[in-house]
Amino acid sequence: MNTILNEKKEFPMLEAVNLTKKYEDGLLALDDVNFKVHQGEIYAMLGGNGAGKTTTINIFLNLIEPTSGETKINGIVTHQQPLEAKKHVSFVSENVMLYPEFTALQNLDFFTRLGGKTNLTKDDYRQVLLRVGLQEDAHSKKLKGFSKGMRQKCGIAIAILKNSPTILLDEPTSGLDPKAGLEFMTLLDELRDEGKSILMSTHDIFRAKEIANTIGIMNNGKLVMQRSKAELENADLEKLYVEYMAGYMEEVA
Amino acid sequence: MLSLLIKKELKEIIGSSKFVYSFAVSALLILITFYVGAKNYQINKSQYDAAVAENIRSMSGVTDWRMINHKIFLPPLPLASLVSGISNDVGRNIGMQGRGELIAKDSKYNEEPIFAVFRFLDLNFLFQIILSLFAILFCYNAVNGEKERGTLRLVFSNAIPRDTFILGKVLGSTIALILPLLVPMLIGFLLLLVLGVPMSFEDWMKLFLIIVTGFLLFSVFINLSVFVSIITKNSATSFLLLLVTWIFFVLVIPKTSVLIAGRAVNVPLIDELNTKKNQFSMQLNREHFNSLSGFKPANKDNFMQEFQQFMEKNNQAREEKTKSFNEKLNRERINRQEVQHAVALNLARISPSASFSLAASSFAGTSLNLVSNYREQADNYQKQFAKFQQEKTGMTSGGGGMMFVIRTDGDKKPPEINPAELPKFEFKPASFSASLGSGLIDIGLLFVFNIIFFAAAYLRFLKFDLR
Amino acid sequence: MFRLLVEKELKNIIQSPKFLATFLTCSFLILLSIGIGINEYFNMMEQYNTAKNLAKTEMAQARSWMALSAKAFREPDPMQIFSAGVNYDIGRYSIVHERQDSKLQNSVYSDDPIFAVFRYMDFTFIVTVVFSLFAILFTYNTVNGERENGTMRLVFSNAIPRSTFISAKFVGSWLGLVIPLLVPILVGLLLLVVFKVPLSAAHWIKIIMLISTSVLYLTFFIAFGILISAVTKYSSVSFMILLVSWITLVFIIPRIGVMTASQFISVPTVAELESQKDSFSKARWEKHYGEIEKVWRARNAEMNGMSEADRQSYREENEYKWFEEDDKVRNEVQKEITEYSSKLSDDVRNRKATLENLALNISRISPASSFQLAAMNLSTSDINLKNRYEKEIQNFRQTFSTFTQKKQKESGGQAGMFRISIDSQSGVKISSGRDESSLNLREVPKFTQPSHTISQAVVPTIIDIGLMMFFTLFSFGGAFFSFNKYDLR
Repeated sequence: MNTILNEKKEFPMLEAVNLTKKYEDGLLALDDVNFKVHQGEIYAMLGGNGAGKTTTINIFLNLIEPTSGETKINGIVTHQQPLEAKKHVSFVSENVMLYPEFTALQNLDFFTRLGGKTNLTKDDYRQVLLRVGLQEDAHSKKLKGFSKGMRQKCGIAIAILKNSPTILLDEPTSGLDPKAGLEFMTLLDELRDEGKSILMSTHDIFRAKEIANTIGIMNNGKLVMQRSKAELENADLEKLYVEYMAGYMEEVA
Repeated sequence: MLSLLIKKELKEIIGSSKFVYSFAVSALLILITFYVGAKNYQINKSQYDAAVAENIRSMSGVTDWRMINHKIFLPPLPLASLVSGISNDVGRNIGMQGRGELIAKDSKYNEEPIFAVFRFLDLNFLFQIILSLFAILFCYNAVNGEKERGTLRLVFSNAIPRDTFILGKVLGSTIALILPLLVPMLIGFLLLLVLGVPMSFEDWMKLFLIIVTGFLLFSVFINLSVFVSIITKNSATSFLLLLVTWIFFVLVIPKTSVLIAGRAVNVPLIDELNTKKNQFSMQLNREHFNSLSGFKPANKDNFMQEFQQFMEKNNQAREEKTKSFNEKLNRERINRQEVQHAVALNLARISPSASFSLAASSFAGTSLNLVSNYREQADNYQKQFAKFQQEKTGMTSGGGGMMFVIRTDGDKKPPEINPAELPKFEFKPASFSASLGSGLIDIGLLFVFNIIFFAAAYLRFLKFDLR
Repeated sequence: MFRLLVEKELKNIIQSPKFLATFLTCSFLILLSIGIGINEYFNMMEQYNTAKNLAKTEMAQARSWMALSAKAFREPDPMQIFSAGVNYDIGRYSIVHERQDSKLQNSVYSDDPIFAVFRYMDFTFIVTVVFSLFAILFTYNTVNGERENGTMRLVFSNAIPRSTFISAKFVGSWLGLVIPLLVPILVGLLLLVVFKVPLSAAHWIKIIMLISTSVLYLTFFIAFGILISAVTKYSSVSFMILLVSWITLVFIIPRIGVMTASQFISVPTVAELESQKDSFSKARWEKHYGEIEKVWRARNAEMNGMSEADRQSYREENEYKWFEEDDKVRNEVQKEITEYSSKLSDDVRNRKATLENLALNISRISPASSFQLAAMNLSTSDINLKNRYEKEIQNFRQTFSTFTQKKQKESGGQAGMFRISIDSQSGVKISSGRDESSLNLREVPKFTQPSHTISQAVVPTIIDIGLMMFFTLFSFGGAFFSFNKYDLR
C-alpha cells in the first residue's frame, strides 16, 4: 500500500523562508529561520528547550501564524492555504495521549479517516501497528491502559497510514526505550526510502547524526548551524552542539 | 468530515466508562421518576376517590338540600405527579355552599409535611438537577481536554476547518447524550401505560412537550460546557466554573429573584383582607337580623314559604354586597400578586433552568395558573350548585354556620335527598393550546440560550490557541 | 513528620486556584442564605404581629360570648433563619372556637404560591448541597491523585509510615476546608447580632449545635472522599463514583425514602377525615334536634287548654329554664362530637406517625437526610411542628370554650345563637337572649406558644448525629484500612 514516488520533485517538500515569530508578550521565538527538506530527506532540528523547534512545527501545522516569513509544504504556503497544505503532511507529536477511551484500532480508524483515507480495512491497521512494533493483543485495548511507548507507536502508525509525502515529528523518540528507539530509526529509514520528506525535532544528537541528511541546531530562535551529513562525517557533533549551546549560555549570561 | 467528527464524539462518549456509570444512574432515575409518578398518581387518586365517596356518603339520610355539607376537591392530574410544580402547595378542598366566598384549604404539604421535608422526585428535578449535571460532566473538557491530551494538534495536523470541528463537537455530544436517554424515557412512557395512568391524547402531547423542553435545557448545558471548555485553559478549571454556574442557574438565581420580587412588590397580607371581609360581613349580618324582625307574613297559612322567599331575597341582596366588596379586595390583591409574579418570574428567567421549570409546570398544569384556574372553575360550579339548591329548596345555603330546620308543628319527616342528583364538579386542566401559549416564551428563551452559547463557543473557537 | 504532611496538605488545598473559587462561592451562599433568612424572619414577625392585632379587632366585633372565636397564631422562631423546614408549608394559624375543629391553615406557600415555585434557600440547604459537593471536589483525588502525579512514590521513598500519611491527609483536608468555611459562618452570626435578631441563650446553644452538626456533615464527606480515592486507582474513576454517590445521598435517597414509605402505609386525607367528622356531627345534631323537637312538643302540650294570656305568661315564666335545659343538652352533644373528632384525629395522627417514622428511617441511610433532620429539629421546624401546635391549640380550645361558656352563662341568655321562631299566630320572633353591647375581652385567655425546651429539640437529633458520626468513622476507618493495602506504585 505504500506508493513509492517515482519522480523526484525539484522544489523542496518542506521549506521555511525567513521564518520569524514574535509573541504578543515580546518574546522572539523564531528569528529569520531558513531551511529546506527535499524529497527523500530527513532534516533533524537539534536544540535545547525553548529553542524554537516546536514553534517551527506549529507554524508548519498552522496552529500559529508566523509574524513574517512563511512555511511551505509541497510548495503550498501553510498560513495562506492551511487546509490544502495539511493534506500533504502527517504529524507525530511528543507524548500524544490520543483518545483514552478508544482502542488502538479505533484511534487509528478515526485519524486515518480524518486524514482523508476512507478505504482502509482493519487488516491494514493491524499490519501497520505490527510494523511499528505494537503487539497484536494490544490492538483492541483502550489507550488509557497504554504505556508512553505504546501510545507513541500508535501515533507513528497514524502518520504512516496517512501516507502523506511529508512527515513532521516533534520529539518522537522521547519516552521510548532503546530497542523501540532503534526500531523507530529503522522505520524512519524505510519511510525515507519510500520518498518521504521528514522534519524532526529531537534532543538525541547521536540518533540525529546517524539518520539525518541535514542537521540544524537551533538556539534562542535562531538556526545557528546547519550541516549536511557529508559535512558532518568526520566532525564531532556533540562537541559542536555543546559549543553552540555554550555560545547561547554566554549570550544570555 | 463532519459526520466523521460526530461519529468520533459518539463513540468516545458512549464508549467511555463514565458513560456507563452515569447513564445507568440517569436511566434508573428516569424510570424511578415515572414509576413513582404513576404510583403517586394512583395513591392520590384513591385518596381523592375516597374523599368524594365520603362526601356523598355523608349526605345520605339528609332531608334538606340546604343541610348538606358539600365539598369539592381538586382531582389529581396524571401530569402533576410527573411535574409537581405548585400542585402540592395549593389548597385542594373547597367547602361548597350556594353563596359566599369559596376558600381552598388543605394543601398536600400542609396536610402531610413529611412530603414537604424532602420534596418529590419529578421530571423537573430530573432535568434541572441530574441531567444538567450529566451534560456538564461530559462536556466540561470538550475542547481543553483534547488540548491536554495532545489530540487537538494531531487533529489539526489534518485538513480540518475549525468550524467543522466545533460543529462536530457540539452535534456529536448532543446526539451521544440525548439518544441514549430517550430509551429510558420511552420505557417510562410504557410504565405509565402499564400502570394504567389515564393519560389523554392532550396529556401525551403535553408530556412530549415537557420532554422536548427538558432536552432543550440539556443542550443549553452542553453548549455552555463546550463554550467554557474553550475559554479556560485546563479542564479542572472549566469543571469548577461550570459547577458554580450550575449552582447559580439551578439554585441561586431562581430563589433570589422570587425573594427580590417579594421585597420589591408589596402584596397586602391575606389576614388583612380576611379581617376586612369579616368585619363587613358581620356588619351586614347585623343589618340582616334587624331587618328580619320587620317580616310580617301576609298569608298566615303559607307563611313558611313566604318567610323563605323573604330570607332568600334578603340573602341575595346581602350576597351581592358581600360579593362586590370581596371581589374588589381580591382583585386588588390579585393585581398586586400578578405584578409580583411577573417581576419574580422574569428575573428568574435569567437562568435557563428556571425557564425550563416554568415551561414544564405550565405544560403540566401545575404552574401558578393552577390557582386561578381552580378558583374560576369552582366559582362556576358554585353558580351551578346555587341554581340546583334554589330549584330544590327555593333557597341557597351559605354565609357560615350550619343550617338546621326544626319543625315543632309535628309534620311528617320529609323524604331523604338523593345525593346522585347533585351536579358533579369536574376539574378541567388548562387546554393544550393554552398551556402551550404560556410556556412558549420559555421555550423561546431556551432556544435563545442555546444559540447564544453555541455562537459564543463557535466564535471563540475560531480564535482558539490550538498549540 | 505528621505536621509537615498536614502543612503540605493545607497548602495544597489553599493554594490551588479552585480553592479561591469555591471559598468565594460558599461564602457568598452562606451569607446570602443567612441574610435572606434574617429578612424573611423579620417579615414573618411583622406579618405575625399585624395578623394578631387584626384578630384582636375582629374579636372586638363579637356581640356574644358564644359567637366569639379566637385565632391562635404560630409565632415565627428566629431559628428558621437556619432551617426553614416545614415552616412555610404548614398553616400559620388556627381558628379557635368551641364548635369548630382547630387546625392550622393558610400556609405561606398556599397564600403566596409564588414562593413555592422555587422554594427557599436556607443555610441547611446550602450545607446539604453545596458544602458536600465542594468537599468531594477537594478530596476525590487525595490518594490516587498522588499516585498519578508520581509524588506518592517520592513521599514513600522517605521513612513515612502509611498511617501517618493517611491521617495527615485527613487532618490536613479537614483543616483546609472547615476552617475557611467557618469564617463566613461567623460573619453570618455577626449579622444576626447586627440586625438585632432576638436570640435567647437557648437559641445560641442550638445555633452552635447546628453549626457543629454542619461541620460533622462536612467531615463525613471529606472522609468519604478520601475513602473512595483510596480504593480506586484513577482519579477520574473516583470522581465519577463520588459524584454519583453525592447525587444519590443528597437528592435521591431522602426522596425515595419518603415515597417508599407512602407506598406501604395509606393515611386518609384531611378531606376524608373531615367528612367523617362532619357526618358524625351532623347525625348527632340531627338526633339532638329531633329530641329537642319532642321536648318542645311536650312543652307545648303542657300548655294545652290554657288561654292565650296564660300561655303567654307560662311561656315567659318558663322560657329561661327551658333554654337552660336545652343548653345543657346541647353542651353534652358538643362534647361528644369534640371527643369523637379528636379520637379520629388521634387515630390518623398515629397512622401518620408510623408513616413518618418509617419514611425518616429509610431516608436515614443517607447522612444528608440525617443532617437535614437534625437541622430541622434544632431549628424547631421539623415535621412535628404541626402536631405540637395543633395539640397546644386543642388544649387552648378547651380553655377558651370553658371560658366563653362560663361567660355566656354569667351574661345570661341562651346559646349565643339567634333563635328565629315562626309561629302561625305570632309571626316571626327573634331572640338573641342578651343585649348587644360589646364584650369585655380583657379576661379572655391568651394562646401561649407550645413550649419546646432545648432538650426536646436536642434529644431527637441524637440519633441523626450518632448516625453521621458512625458514617464518618466508618469512612475514615475504611480509608485507613484500605490505604494500608494500597498499591503505592
